[in-house]
Amino acid sequence: VAGGRGRAPEEEELLLPPHRRFPRDRGGPTPAFSLAGECRGRMEEGKAHSPHEVFAHLEMLEAQARAADVKEEEAKRQAEKLDRLKARVRELTCQRDELQAKVDLQQKGQLGKEGVVSDPAQPSAHAVLEWKIKNVKDMLQVFYLTGISGKLTEQGVCFCISTAYEGTYLDSYYLDLLTKPQVYIFRHSIPTFIPLAQLAKKYLQTDIRRFLSVLSNHLNAYAARRYQADQLQEHFSDQIEGTLQTNSLCNLLVFNYNVSNKSKTFPFNVRLLYGDLCSSVPTKVTVSCTPGYWLGKCHR
Amino acid sequence: MDNSICQVYEDKIQSLEEEIKLLTEKYEDYQQESTFYSDEEILMSKKSFQREFWRPSQGYEYLPDLRDQLESLEMDLSFIMKFTGIHFTSHFKKTVEKTRNRTVWKHRLSGNCHSLSFQVEFQLLEVQNKENVSVVVSDLSVLMSCGGDSYVSKFVSSIEEHGNLLQFFRSLSSYAEWYEHRRCTFLHFKAKYPNFVALPEGLLGHYIILRNPKPSGQLPNEEGRITPLLDLLTKVPEQVLAWKMAAIENAPTGFRSMLLLFGIEAAIENLIKVVSLGK
Repeated sequence: VAGGRGRAPEEEELLLPPHRRFPRDRGGPTPAFSLAGECRGRMEEGKAHSPHEVFAHLEMLEAQARAADVKEEEAKRQAEKLDRLKARVRELTCQRDELQAKVDLQQKGQLGKEGVVSDPAQPSAHAVLEWKIKNVKDMLQVFYLTGISGKLTEQGVCFCISTAYEGTYLDSYYLDLLTKPQVYIFRHSIPTFIPLAQLAKKYLQTDIRRFLSVLSNHLNAYAARRYQADQLQEHFSDQIEGTLQTNSLCNLLVFNYNVSNKSKTFPFNVRLLYGDLCSSVPTKVTVSCTPGYWLGKCHR
Repeated sequence: MDNSICQVYEDKIQSLEEEIKLLTEKYEDYQQESTFYSDEEILMSKKSFQREFWRPSQGYEYLPDLRDQLESLEMDLSFIMKFTGIHFTSHFKKTVEKTRNRTVWKHRLSGNCHSLSFQVEFQLLEVQNKENVSVVVSDLSVLMSCGGDSYVSKFVSSIEEHGNLLQFFRSLSSYAEWYEHRRCTFLHFKAKYPNFVALPEGLLGHYIILRNPKPSGQLPNEEGRITPLLDLLTKVPEQVLAWKMAAIENAPTGFRSMLLLFGIEAAIENLIKVVSLGK
């Protein structure tokens, strides 16, 4: 009932050009000249008016009457709509309250016993199977947390490699493998800067587990570096001058920050290089102070 | 003017529908989490479900789906457990908090990876953001069967401190694989050279002894101890396998370089040959 977009037939007719309108029966004879009383307001008294003017005036009056009708219909529709909405609100409130009571009862029952219990009434096969399906789905979801999960497909397997930094899970990546006649990668969502082809060449045919393991190492390290860079930008944005610069593999990070000392501020530039692509710890850090004052270099 | 009143009611309807959805989910979650059916019950249900299907009074499209769906899911689960080596033996899940955008669960998982048993407990927070869903693990607690091992306990504390659940499983998987490799390696050499190889701690032990059984007047009995060590402490998700030799005077000093050149198996073979020759 969004705004009542449909037009009543009367409305439709109003939009037609005058010569296309059909005279409507208003439940009583309304010949042109018996509307003389109303005509007085609009037409000059005593003056002779052409039939055309009279008819135009009549059409206008008819239009007004129709408009009033439409308004009445509209108001009725609005009232009906409002009633429907009110009824719906009552219905839903009732449903909500019932559910709330059920949930509260569950919670109360929960305080009594912690253990798991089989449904005392004889459960239908349907209910048992539905329960088991959810149960197995939950178990499959847990594998997502372990880093490598997957499901069988018609012609192979689709693996999902998840990444995380400490307790926070980050992006996951997919590898759709076909297993016949040989193992090969059908589709994947691995970013281009990860050396997928190299790794596949080295391990895919001989040891899939190893392949996934090494790939997971690369992806997790990349995700961790990127996450750390994002966190640095987010939490130290007031101290960092401008934005953090990094390459797509996030193994090169450059940023500037200022250190103030009484009246003078010293601009520092930091360059972090992560030489080991499977590590989220930098291998070389260069800190320099411009202009020209080179402070030092440290190696890990 | 009327429209604004309608809008108020429409907003109310939307909010009620959301509440109902949330409450329904809460109710169903609780039902799911507090119910348990044994394997026999499930097997019986599968069988009786089959019978129900053949009754022409019921619709055909809906009924077979449940059984097939379950079988397909069980096959997926069985595959992934076999592939990763991680077998979960029990899983308790409880919804602790649920609002429109935020859900918190408590999980308790037990299982084993090859011969290593573990139990983990943690809280999982899922938050629905505008673009994505964020998942965070907290309150992680880990128990391992070989917890006595000093390396393992250091590893476990590091994992717990940072809530590094994913890292735990990845390392577990690697460790268990190398554990298996070591066991197979020991078995292989024991079978091949029964006279020269002794396993004082058995197949799961930490070291292997290579000895020359032929007493030779001139030379002392040579003993070589090879202890594979797994360094699980590094944050870097690569394990470092270090083979250490307990030094004996005539032990080949170039064992480590031999290891790198020829690989583990060949290195040990060579070592055994050297020992057997009674050099």
